[in-house]
Amino acid sequence: MSLALSGASSKPARPWRLPGTPGQITLALGIGAFLLAFLIVPVGSVIYVAFTEKGTGGFTLVNFADFFRTDLFLRSFWNSFYVSAATVVLASVFALPLAYITTRFDFRGAVIVQTLGFLPLIMPPFVGAVSMQLLFGRNGTVNLLLNDWFGFRIPFMEGLNGVIFVQAIHYFPFILINLSAALRNIDRSMEEAAQNLGSSGMRLFRRIVLPLAMPGYVAGASLVFVKVFDDLATPLLLNVKDMLAPQAYLRVTSIGIADPMGYVISVVLIVVSVLAMWVSALALKGRDYATTQRGGGGLARRRMRPWESAVAYGVVGLILTLVLAPHIGLLLLSFATIWSFSPLPDGFTLAHYGRVFGESSLYIKNTLIYATLAGGIDVVLGTAIAYLVLRTKLVGRQWLDWAAMAALAVPGVVLGIGYLRTFFDVRMPDGTPLATLWIVIVLALAIRRLPYALRACYAALQQISESLEEAAENLGATKARTVRRIVIPLMTGGILAGFVTSFATAAVELSATLMLVQSNADAPLAYGLYVFMQSAAGRGPGAALGVIAVLLVAACTLLSQYILDRNQKNRGAAR
Amino acid sequence: MIRSAAFAATLALASFAATGAFAQGKVTVVTSFSKDVTDPIKSAFEKANPGTTLDVQNRNTNAGVKYLDETKSNPQVDLFWASAPDAFEVLKGKGLLQKYTPKAEGIPAKIGAYPINDPDGFYFGFAASGYGIMWNTRYQQANDLPEPKEWGDLATAPYYDHVAIASPARSGTTHLTIETILQGEGWDKGWRTIKEMAGNFQTITERSFGVPEAVNSGQVGYGIVIDFFAFSAQGSGFPVKFVYPTVTTVVPANVGIVANAPNTKNAQAFVDFLLSPAGQEVLLQPAIRRLPVNPAVYAKAPEGYPNPFKDPRFAAMTMFDVNKSGARTDVVDTLFDQLISFQLDNLKGVTKAIHEVEGRLAKKDNPQARALIKEARDLVAAMPVAESEAASDAIRGAFTGSKEKGARQAELEQKWAAFAKENYAKAKAKVDEAAKLAN
Amino acid sequence: MNAIAKTSAPEAALHTEALDVRIAGVNLSYGTNHVLKNIDLDIRAGEFFAFLGPSGCGKTTLLRLIAGFNTADTGTVSVGGRDIGNLPPWKRDVGLVFQSYALWPHMSVAQNVAFGLEERGVPRADIRRRVATALEIVGLGHLADRRPSQLSGGQQQRVALARTVVIEPKVLLLDEPLSNLDAKMRVQVRRELRDLQQRLGLTTIFVTHDQEEANTVCDRIAVMSDGIVQQVGTPMELYERPANLFVANFLGTANVVEGRVAGAGADRVFETASGWRLPVMSGIEVPAGARLVFRPQVARIAEGGDGAPALRGEIVRREFLGSIIRYGIASGGQEITVDEPFLPGQAQHEVGANVAIDVPASAALWLA
Repeated sequence: MSLALSGASSKPARPWRLPGTPGQITLALGIGAFLLAFLIVPVGSVIYVAFTEKGTGGFTLVNFADFFRTDLFLRSFWNSFYVSAATVVLASVFALPLAYITTRFDFRGAVIVQTLGFLPLIMPPFVGAVSMQLLFGRNGTVNLLLNDWFGFRIPFMEGLNGVIFVQAIHYFPFILINLSAALRNIDRSMEEAAQNLGSSGMRLFRRIVLPLAMPGYVAGASLVFVKVFDDLATPLLLNVKDMLAPQAYLRVTSIGIADPMGYVISVVLIVVSVLAMWVSALALKGRDYATTQRGGGGLARRRMRPWESAVAYGVVGLILTLVLAPHIGLLLLSFATIWSFSPLPDGFTLAHYGRVFGESSLYIKNTLIYATLAGGIDVVLGTAIAYLVLRTKLVGRQWLDWAAMAALAVPGVVLGIGYLRTFFDVRMPDGTPLATLWIVIVLALAIRRLPYALRACYAALQQISESLEEAAENLGATKARTVRRIVIPLMTGGILAGFVTSFATAAVELSATLMLVQSNADAPLAYGLYVFMQSAAGRGPGAALGVIAVLLVAACTLLSQYILDRNQKNRGAAR
Repeated sequence: MIRSAAFAATLALASFAATGAFAQGKVTVVTSFSKDVTDPIKSAFEKANPGTTLDVQNRNTNAGVKYLDETKSNPQVDLFWASAPDAFEVLKGKGLLQKYTPKAEGIPAKIGAYPINDPDGFYFGFAASGYGIMWNTRYQQANDLPEPKEWGDLATAPYYDHVAIASPARSGTTHLTIETILQGEGWDKGWRTIKEMAGNFQTITERSFGVPEAVNSGQVGYGIVIDFFAFSAQGSGFPVKFVYPTVTTVVPANVGIVANAPNTKNAQAFVDFLLSPAGQEVLLQPAIRRLPVNPAVYAKAPEGYPNPFKDPRFAAMTMFDVNKSGARTDVVDTLFDQLISFQLDNLKGVTKAIHEVEGRLAKKDNPQARALIKEARDLVAAMPVAESEAASDAIRGAFTGSKEKGARQAELEQKWAAFAKENYAKAKAKVDEAAKLAN
Repeated sequence: MNAIAKTSAPEAALHTEALDVRIAGVNLSYGTNHVLKNIDLDIRAGEFFAFLGPSGCGKTTLLRLIAGFNTADTGTVSVGGRDIGNLPPWKRDVGLVFQSYALWPHMSVAQNVAFGLEERGVPRADIRRRVATALEIVGLGHLADRRPSQLSGGQQQRVALARTVVIEPKVLLLDEPLSNLDAKMRVQVRRELRDLQQRLGLTTIFVTHDQEEANTVCDRIAVMSDGIVQQVGTPMELYERPANLFVANFLGTANVVEGRVAGAGADRVFETASGWRLPVMSGIEVPAGARLVFRPQVARIAEGGDGAPALRGEIVRREFLGSIIRYGIASGGQEITVDEPFLPGQAQHEVGANVAIDVPASAALWLA
């Protein structure tokens, strides 16, 4: 919509004229160079193996033919596909009621629900899986009780179903966040008009509300699909190996085997991910209704009747308990003495916190610095890319967007190895390799989380009417000043949302950092956690560190949420 | 935004300066050992060598090897410190280690039947561990299961779906166990034993520590693990027990100096410390609990501490041929994955059916059914590759990419997987037939 | 733009009936904000009725209350004698056309129009027929497959109308339906609306803040202010006999002169502070504290004057409005407006002239 408008409003470009201002071109080239240096070249330096013949190193496509001739890979492909699709379905089951109830009704605690609903994204590595096993595993709390009382077990965590279950809990916030935003943007008269014409209840939801919220839903769902398709940590921790991402990881990191198939799978992952994002963009073309509606203040919030209220609180409570189970388990684990084959720990202690107290401050400091810098880089890049794509006519600007989104599909370990390969031979003046500086960890985190921030910034810019910028230019502001004084202030909400998502998920990221951490002094929390989780005695301290990580990230999230709310209230008052 | 970019730049410069000031007494080690092991050794080493700091980088064995390979042009670490000897073989093969002759005295050439040091002097065993079976006693009692004594016990019907192991491709120590069985029992018989045991696996983990973790939390009953995993779990209070089978595997833990290490002198000091009586004694601490390679140190060990230099179970271990093992590492690991890991559901299906029919036959015999079961077991045990082929240039070439290769690795994998799938299906059909007769 | 077809009579296919709407004793508060105060209204069957008032007067609140989107604290709303106050919006059969049109962007024009019929479980074939009819009525049959975003404002408005009338509502509610159109379209569409309402014979309630719209289209108007119905009547009644100062001022231009009424019976006289006196016609009721109100066109301007006490002033403004000339005369601290017909050749008064204003006693209104 806004693209069409911008096309109509700008002057027809004469053929010899530059397609943008020098500033815009410089910015685009700068971002392009950044992505080239820190994403495309490092990944390319690893991935090219997929196109070479083992031994000779000559160019060949036979590896891709092998991919399609090997049952294991095809099975892995379909398993990954099935798990991703099923995760989207299950995650929707979690997200839909939460989003709907908190946006549609006068629901006490809607803010708390929205904030808690964000927490599952912050699942520290290893400990999250351990606590899930202790709660839902074959001999976890739930199954031990079920078996005692009723004599049966539910295989929550077995095979592909386990992966779907854990992934849905982990990633449903993406759907929750996007869907809630979309629901809030629907003009209330849309709903009233349908009621006036005789529609109500589920039919009203299905025929009017859901289709109008579809763009937000699809944005969230496609992100979930791609993340699950590319995620290797969860399947591996559940010992599921016949999926694509774990196959790639196992082959890339196996000792001494120069097997091109791991890289072939990486290429397949990247292609499928980009394809999925492209399909979802195609499906939404011309359907971004939220941006075409003005005013209205969102869906009318209805007061619930007592029984409705009871049902709503019941449903919300149940879903929250389920999706926060890993964190509840983590908390128990961090206080547990021994927890083995029993519904609850044998006893409780504070000793684990004592053990990590001393060393965690270093990890916390590193984590805060890395995640803050990574989040900062991400929103700067995200805002700039969104602006270039939506507001300029530069040739190839879409490529910036696609390249940045492709980072979603690059396995962290591939990026890590790529960084070592690319930057290890770049020496600092004193001879230390560039790759050993901690700033490289920050860059890797920034690249890994860029897609989240980019989507948030993109959506924020899309919702700003271009006439606001034209008004500023009309009053004498240059393009650059308009961006600074009009566009960025109006985008604050989206930028902050992007920052929070990037920050929070970067704070618990492990796969890329594991390859790049050069000394304990530079290690972030997730690395410290990994070190603890290698021994029986480290389980409690690891969990304690995990709790600290979650609390830390949650506190930062709440803080920015608070700033965001206050900001929006100020803006609302000024209107 | 601009401000934060400037901030980042300042920080980058600051860290520049920090790393630029090289600590004179520094030595960096890449290790797969947990904090429980590294922390006491670090403090003992730093006490013995004042002014030298030991910087520990924790990476799993595979990532560590990959890391050294990727950074070989300008190494930043001095030592590689891990269990799996095959990882050291790989590093040695790639020229990533340097030779050294430790000053330590009193260390014998072999522990059990396993040579302690690399004969070429590139890496050195500093501790040993034994492989065995670990189980969760609460799990065992709740499911009314027996206590195992031998490897073969794990292949019997009661243990179906109760056992876990780490993938040999991911865990160097598990690989050693598999190789020990293959060398001890011979290729065909060895694989038969492994597959019969594997039919009872509930899960095959991706990390070595995944097995003790699952047993500790009670998700799996029995695990095939290194002794110290079980003992440190016991030390932490978990309800677990451990047994060395009659034929156990001795797993050495090694240390090696990285080629072109920036602090070679300090690295040598660390190796010497580790092998000195002072360093060896640290291994006796309950949280570490490894078996020192210096027999004299056992005098200070607590009551009941296993001594591989005296304990007959360790001496009973078959002669282990390192060269034979090294020549077929990739083939063995890939065979395990293709025939077992990725076909686990099929293999378990057959195994379960065999257990059931055999259970019925024990009550009421039927020779015809017994014959069918035997055929089924033979089908399951059949291998797509003979021992001689496994070390052949044609097959090794597929993994290393050398010129002699007959087929690509992916082709071999597909062939082996198809072989296993077909055989397991045939075996299942035989068992189903037997089941009808056994009524 | 002959939009709403006047030929043939497709509307005959729609079975609408005229029902009366009765609003009795309705009160509504948002917290301490009393938005609707004791509203009583009888809207006759088949009537085109307007709620007229400035923004914030409660007219839209009252309309949404009829549609069921607000709930009254007290009072009843009945259509055709049936109390609908307790029905949810979707069971009321009260058609509302939204100010923003509220067309669903994810549906085509035809799908938008078909929606209400589908909700009512009307057979497919009937839906197709009735949608076609409704679109024909508003003259958009050829745009059935377009998306709302591809239509102009006037076309969107007609789609919204078609979508509402196709369900054959008992009452048609229009919420500021002309406010999003340009001036020329507004005149055209309001005629079409009136025309359509006449043909359908549907009781229609029209909310507007524009007196001209209300006057030209509606049978009767309820003038509202501060949540109170100030007066109900035909446009002419309201203009000629406004019940109070608010109505007089809101409908058309009115001059209000401060002063007091003295005397009693036949001798009542209105007197200003400057000493000008105007006799009060006998038989006319003068409320306490009433002021003199007269329309600009009933007064005449006399140059000079005979010295008798008169409403005097200086012309400060002269506006040519085509058929009339409007004079602004500063008098006693206020400006009085007087309209004189523009007749070619007739002399006009100049700005700055000192004049007397002649107000006939028969045209005077006494309002508080």
